[in-house]
Amino acid sequence: MIGPIIALLLQAQPLEQPLPDPNQEARAQSLMRELRCMVCENEPVSQSTADMAIDARRMIRKQVVEGASDSQVRDFFVTRYGQYVAFRPPTDGWGLLLWGFPFALIAGGLVLIGVKLVRNRPKALEPVPDDRSGGDA
Amino acid sequence: MIIELGHLLAFLALGAAAGQSFLGLTRNGEAARRLAVATAMFTALSMLTLIISFVRLDFSVALVAAHSHSQKPLLYKIAGAWGNHEGSMLLWCLIMSAYGALAALFMREGKLRDRALGVQGLLTVGSFLYLLFVSSPFMRLIDPPFDGAGLNPLLQDPAVALHPPFLYMGYVGMSFVFSMAAAGLINGEIDREWARRTRPWALGAWSFLTIGIALGAIWAYYELGWGGWWFWDPVENASFMPWLVAAALVHSLIVTEKRGGMASWTVFLAVLAFCLSLLGTFLVRSGVLTSVHAFAVDPARGTILLIGLGIAGGAALALFAWRAPTLKAGPEFDPVSREGALVLNNLFLSVSSALVLVGTVTPMVLQWLGEAKMISPEAASMSIGEPYFQLTLAPMVAFLLLFMPLAQAAPWRKAEVGPLMKWLLPSAVVAILAAIGAMALGGWGVFLGYGVLVGVWAIFGVGQDLVRRAGAGGFKRFIKLPLTVWGMAIAHMGMGLFVIGATVETAARTEQTFPLSPGQSAEMSGWKFEFQGVTLVDGPNYVATRADILATHDGRTELLQPEQRSYPVSEMGTTEVAIRKTLGGDMYVALGDQLRDQANVWRLRIAHHPLIDWVFGGAGLIALGGFMSLAARLRRRAPTNAETTATEPVASSADKTGAGVGASA
Repeated sequence: MIGPIIALLLQAQPLEQPLPDPNQEARAQSLMRELRCMVCENEPVSQSTADMAIDARRMIRKQVVEGASDSQVRDFFVTRYGQYVAFRPPTDGWGLLLWGFPFALIAGGLVLIGVKLVRNRPKALEPVPDDRSGGDA
Repeated sequence: MIIELGHLLAFLALGAAAGQSFLGLTRNGEAARRLAVATAMFTALSMLTLIISFVRLDFSVALVAAHSHSQKPLLYKIAGAWGNHEGSMLLWCLIMSAYGALAALFMREGKLRDRALGVQGLLTVGSFLYLLFVSSPFMRLIDPPFDGAGLNPLLQDPAVALHPPFLYMGYVGMSFVFSMAAAGLINGEIDREWARRTRPWALGAWSFLTIGIALGAIWAYYELGWGGWWFWDPVENASFMPWLVAAALVHSLIVTEKRGGMASWTVFLAVLAFCLSLLGTFLVRSGVLTSVHAFAVDPARGTILLIGLGIAGGAALALFAWRAPTLKAGPEFDPVSREGALVLNNLFLSVSSALVLVGTVTPMVLQWLGEAKMISPEAASMSIGEPYFQLTLAPMVAFLLLFMPLAQAAPWRKAEVGPLMKWLLPSAVVAILAAIGAMALGGWGVFLGYGVLVGVWAIFGVGQDLVRRAGAGGFKRFIKLPLTVWGMAIAHMGMGLFVIGATVETAARTEQTFPLSPGQSAEMSGWKFEFQGVTLVDGPNYVATRADILATHDGRTELLQPEQRSYPVSEMGTTEVAIRKTLGGDMYVALGDQLRDQANVWRLRIAHHPLIDWVFGGAGLIALGGFMSLAARLRRRAPTNAETTATEPVASSADKTGAGVGASA
């Protein structure tokens, strides 16, 4: 009779319960990874052992369960603690430039290469016969 | 007295390096060679005096007093010599002069070697001026303390004791690549011969840099106690930028060496790799970062580093602007060819480096603008972290891996898309099946599926290419493929393994924190962890709180002992995690703090890191492949100095039919 009760007492519950729905939990986890811990500065809340990070994780899970979208959760923390806590830079205004420039560079590079190579594409090129076992030869 | 001897030796090295640069640039090759060796020997002896001072605990040396302690184990007494700003700068000088000496001893004579030694001498002079006048490790204290202040306990770890030497062999190795580029530009000869002789240096430096970065990641994983191995921290990014450019360089050098193409782009990358190494050093050493890594905080040093970067980079770019118009364009090639694939490789690698650079520097610039009241504090406090780098780099990596097997199999000058695609169909099928399988197991995450898809595609595609190269020769020919081929294949497969490991680990890691009192147990991922309690253990220079945890899995029980160490000398603590390796990944147990409101209840953080060894193993294979490629080049060169070089590669008649896939219709 008392055995199972003791066993139950000895079985520790984690400080934070993962959400029962794995999809919601995955969303919460990825949100935890992109918010900065306010105490330790260079760690995301997902990795910090600080009490404040634990509270933040609880808050994220709570909001995810209540149906908040990812950006609503982010905004909640950003309005409270400032843009500094978000490892994801804003995706509007100047932020767009930041997000877009690598792809603009790739596109520009491709156009340049295309213009240079395709326009002057020589007609009768033959492959260089290579020693098939040769490395980069 | 010994540290004064070291100080004197450093001045002698400075003088020798100055002579080396003058004689090298004026083409007195033999004399420059001797001085290059002398520079390295003076520097090595100077470093030795510093190490001896650290081992003998001579606390009248300011650096020893600040960074060593009598209770420290021998390995960390030695590593302490470079585990600080001044000592690491002496290490920088040592490695830089050692590269010069290597070139002096082993490079074939000629004006390329002479001028490269000259430029390397100039860089060495700059480094020694910085060392001697801004960050001297040779200072004495008038009133030496009874004992030292100790080394940052986080740094008392074998991986991180070796991390700076490897990282510097990479960073500073780029200095000799830079010297080769500058020498080639001065000579006006950036040709196939130049590329052939520059490539080993680039391969070596890049492989060392790979190991250095990997050691840092391993250290973060084991030592920082949160199970992360890469956090897109500015200091990590500082080493990643030159790595990406150097990766582009070792590929574009192939085009320049084999085909004579992309010469001006290649030499530009060779200059850029070292400039980014200097920029990285500036970021780490100047204190512009708010980061756990920024151990040295001194803006004056930063300014001088930045000026040095400006001089070296500016001079090289001026040389480049002067000579670039005279550089010959290589032979024509079709966009669909091995050259074409390597051009794309370079585009994606260099844009990757640019985005890491912008993502790293932007928050600092904004912060600076904010402090200068030029923008609002709100706009100045932007962070750029994991989400940005992951989302922008992911497509770059996808394209790089997509083209990898194609580049290996395509012939030079012109290829046909159709036969290549058809030939690689098996790899595509395997990759798609693997990705679907992984997503089914891992909860249909897009990121997970994508990583497995491109990783498996790269590994199998590279494998297919090896089989193709062996051809009818079968297994015997397969294992006897040239070292260059194996080097390339191993590095490429390592890249595939790394990408799979990194995405799976990121997407599927699980972690939980349990409050446990003795006798309680926690369960996770099919494991049961029974907490027995904590004991206090004395270490050589720390006191540890050690937890005893019985871990049970599949009916087998073993003891795990994570620790919290406290170092009384530096009043800091570290976490020693307990890791149980399994085939699929690591079970990672870290002991956290005691709960404040309950007696003898401890936080235990338990995590599962799937495929984490693929991350480190993949990086190791990349470096191994680089070294194999380097070894092949050195071996090939050894027997004859008068080999044919600047001719079109001519295939032996027996192999003419066996050109790359889709060579001719």
